[in-house]
Amino acid sequence: MSFDSTASRALDTASARGAAYADIRFEVARTERIEARNGVVATLSDSTSRGYGIRALVDGTWGFAAASDTSDAGLDRTAARAVEIAKAGAAIARRRFGEAPPKAYADVFATPVHRDPEDVPLNDRVNLLLEAERLLHAGPQIGVGRAWIDLWRTDKYFYSTIGSKIEQSIRQTGCGLQALAVGNGDVQTRTFPGDIGLYASGGWEIVERAGLRENAQRIAEEAVALLSAPQAPSGVTDVVLGGSQVSLQIHESCGHPAELDRVMGWEANFSGVSFLELDQLDKLKYGSEIVTISIDNTMPGGMATVGYDDEGSRSVRSDIVRDGVLVGYEMSNDTARLIGRDSNACVRAESWEYVPMIRMCNLNLRPGEIPFEHLFDDVRDGIYMESNRSWSIDDHRLNFQFGCEIAWEIKNGKRGRLLKNPTYGGITPAFWNSCDAVADAASWVAWGTPNCGKGEPMQSGRTTQAASPARFRGVRVGVGYGG
Amino acid sequence: MDREQREDLARRVLAFSQADQTEVLLVDRDASLSRFTHDAIHQNVASADLSIAVRAIAEGRTGVARTNVLDEPSLRDVVARALAIARHAPADPEQPALPVGAPPPAPAEAFAEATARATPQLRAQICEDIFRAGEADGLWAAGYAATERGGITVANSNGARASFDGSDAAANVKMNGGDSSGFAEAYDTDVRRLDGTLLGAIAARKARESAHPRDVEPGPWTVILEPAAFGELFSYIADHFSALSFDEGSSFLSDGLGRTYLGENVTISDDYAQPLAPGMPFDFEGFPTKRLALVEHGVARAIVTDSYWAHKLGRENTGHALPAPNASGPQARNLVVSAGSKNAAQLVAETKRGLLVTRFWYIRTVDQKKAIVTGMTRDGTFLIEDGKVTGGVRNMRFNQSILEALRHCEFASELSRTGGYSYSIVVPAVKIENFTFSSGTGF
Repeated sequence: MSFDSTASRALDTASARGAAYADIRFEVARTERIEARNGVVATLSDSTSRGYGIRALVDGTWGFAAASDTSDAGLDRTAARAVEIAKAGAAIARRRFGEAPPKAYADVFATPVHRDPEDVPLNDRVNLLLEAERLLHAGPQIGVGRAWIDLWRTDKYFYSTIGSKIEQSIRQTGCGLQALAVGNGDVQTRTFPGDIGLYASGGWEIVERAGLRENAQRIAEEAVALLSAPQAPSGVTDVVLGGSQVSLQIHESCGHPAELDRVMGWEANFSGVSFLELDQLDKLKYGSEIVTISIDNTMPGGMATVGYDDEGSRSVRSDIVRDGVLVGYEMSNDTARLIGRDSNACVRAESWEYVPMIRMCNLNLRPGEIPFEHLFDDVRDGIYMESNRSWSIDDHRLNFQFGCEIAWEIKNGKRGRLLKNPTYGGITPAFWNSCDAVADAASWVAWGTPNCGKGEPMQSGRTTQAASPARFRGVRVGVGYGG
Repeated sequence: MDREQREDLARRVLAFSQADQTEVLLVDRDASLSRFTHDAIHQNVASADLSIAVRAIAEGRTGVARTNVLDEPSLRDVVARALAIARHAPADPEQPALPVGAPPPAPAEAFAEATARATPQLRAQICEDIFRAGEADGLWAAGYAATERGGITVANSNGARASFDGSDAAANVKMNGGDSSGFAEAYDTDVRRLDGTLLGAIAARKARESAHPRDVEPGPWTVILEPAAFGELFSYIADHFSALSFDEGSSFLSDGLGRTYLGENVTISDDYAQPLAPGMPFDFEGFPTKRLALVEHGVARAIVTDSYWAHKLGRENTGHALPAPNASGPQARNLVVSAGSKNAAQLVAETKRGLLVTRFWYIRTVDQKKAIVTGMTRDGTFLIEDGKVTGGVRNMRFNQSILEALRHCEFASELSRTGGYSYSIVVPAVKIENFTFSSGTGF
């Protein structure tokens, strides 16, 4: 598919109307969702959405307009609208934030896919979920079983007035299970894998890797067991977090505060600001020396893995926290310029309808040296928690409180009895500085998040935080339940 | 596309279908938003789209396909795809016939031509009015002004026809000082009633009056939650009124209707005709939405259903379907909490020692059944001493059961519309006793 001539028309119109720079991003998105719920297929849907978004820069101020009408008249109207919007903003601006990308690329990128989901008959896709969901009903206390698959294909075509022409075909796949147990006046949930399911870029191989059928009964039995499990204790203790929970911890307490638009106040009225202020760069001891957190939008399987971001910058690898010290941010061209750096290609839009903005990259915690099982060795009295259930953090990203679906007590280096309703909380830098062990690469998993919210209008972003389980000392636990 | 064009398109698409039953949902939307920070617009956007969703039912099997490509081959293809994927689904014995009803007219105030025709210059003017309101105090503003128009048409092969045209406008602002901030918001279907100067002035006053915040101890407090704070808190029990939550046992109402769950002064309704938030009189199946009393004087009276859940539970269809396919169940989309008898200023004046909260942030459910949630205060939290607001306090985290809060509360007499990215709701300010804060912050 080529959009060369339509792109030229739109960019010429924007330039003729007064844009100093413009780009256009065509997208054709195809999505399929199947969800089985209590023995029936509650969702079986197939969607196609095609459209484009045009950015126009006028007098240092951006305008953006998007439409699905690809007729010549529609293109002209939308390009003119982007310029008119930019001019309206420029007329009242006390500052000029806009910055055109400095470099043009002509390239093609495609997500590696080992098995195309379309080669798997729809009947097989449906039956896999029905069978996995059936296995969730391990007993009468299972009130709800759910199993789902998401298949996403997005083809993007990016053109700019400085000569970029980038074609990308991005494939992402996700699947999961959830069992809800009801009894004893209580409700308990278990989800697999992780707390959202397993989401990654790639094809059907991700569903095969997840092992839905193989794990369904265990997950359901855990949900039922939680109904009669004792309440997790309150107080201050050592905590071992499972890999998906460490992933969530990175996401909320490093991924979002390291977005440079937040640091600069561009999200102040909604998502908030950041404690990682500019005067902390290269100084703040964010975490202990074993904590290194890096951007990598080139990694295989990452939900943010692309060749180029949505303003045409090439994907790179760079550190945010190196050996415990804050050394970088997630940046766009606009924001990078303001601190004298180059963009590290962290700009994406949910779809053609949305303006590209800084979104969380693949942001990964470097694995440690010791096997997962040995994280417990040095814990006399503690809690091991898995699979996020609740997450809340303040608008500076300092004071957090997270809850997990399931926990086990740790006594004298051994995992002990099951505990329900575990929660923990703290202040971000103090928490990461209390990290004294990260499990090795054998338990390092690229946990994808398909639904990260940010921006106004709200955009849902896709990102990955790869992590191993990790150990934290002296953590406040049981908050929300008396702690 | 106007209503007649949408209905004509829906008829054409229905005629393509060979399924036993077919539903067509058309959504036509044009939305614009001007977002600002440091007194300049940095994200200034508009988006226009018309999408079609086709639900095909064949022998109790359901498939849904969507497209926004409107040429005839694409329209025929989306109909064929819906039927083709339906044939791969197992039959659902609970699947009822697609519903047919006669929706009442929409509230006249649901659509304002001025909003539908709003220009980027008009939104910029609202933004500039907000900027100016903070200048005298040396405050910088972050927020947005937004306008949108939307048209929805639902038609099905059993004869249902329903169309709605609506508009909406909103603005909000966080005014930022050295060590404080203040927030204000407004929503209206008519953009002419958005007053940037007033919003800016309210937010600036809050930022000014909360400067040099002091620490207070976490623990149980008497709080007065302004509508933005209470609305967000309350939104976390919205799904408890769904037939799905009720049936699966995760709702606080699951022990049965007719029981007293909340305080005697608590009355909750779902009302698309509420003048502050006039909305669509039918659901996404085109079935008339019933104006419901969900809780009356603390006693649970109703849950919301759609055709599927009404059939499954043997209850009346209240017309609260979301777009198909919908695994989340029916939802109350127009919640209203009834007002009390004293105005908000009286509630403050009657408070010996308490906290006045402008806004919450990042509320999340900690315990679904008990409706325990956690979250943070932000953008204007004040100490009340001897009936007077005496200054700002640093922000705190709370852990609180919403049900417990609604057993020990007193509502103000003024209603406001408030909202977020996932809800719109009409509530008064509320005074709550023993609201539990669990930790603090340094800001």
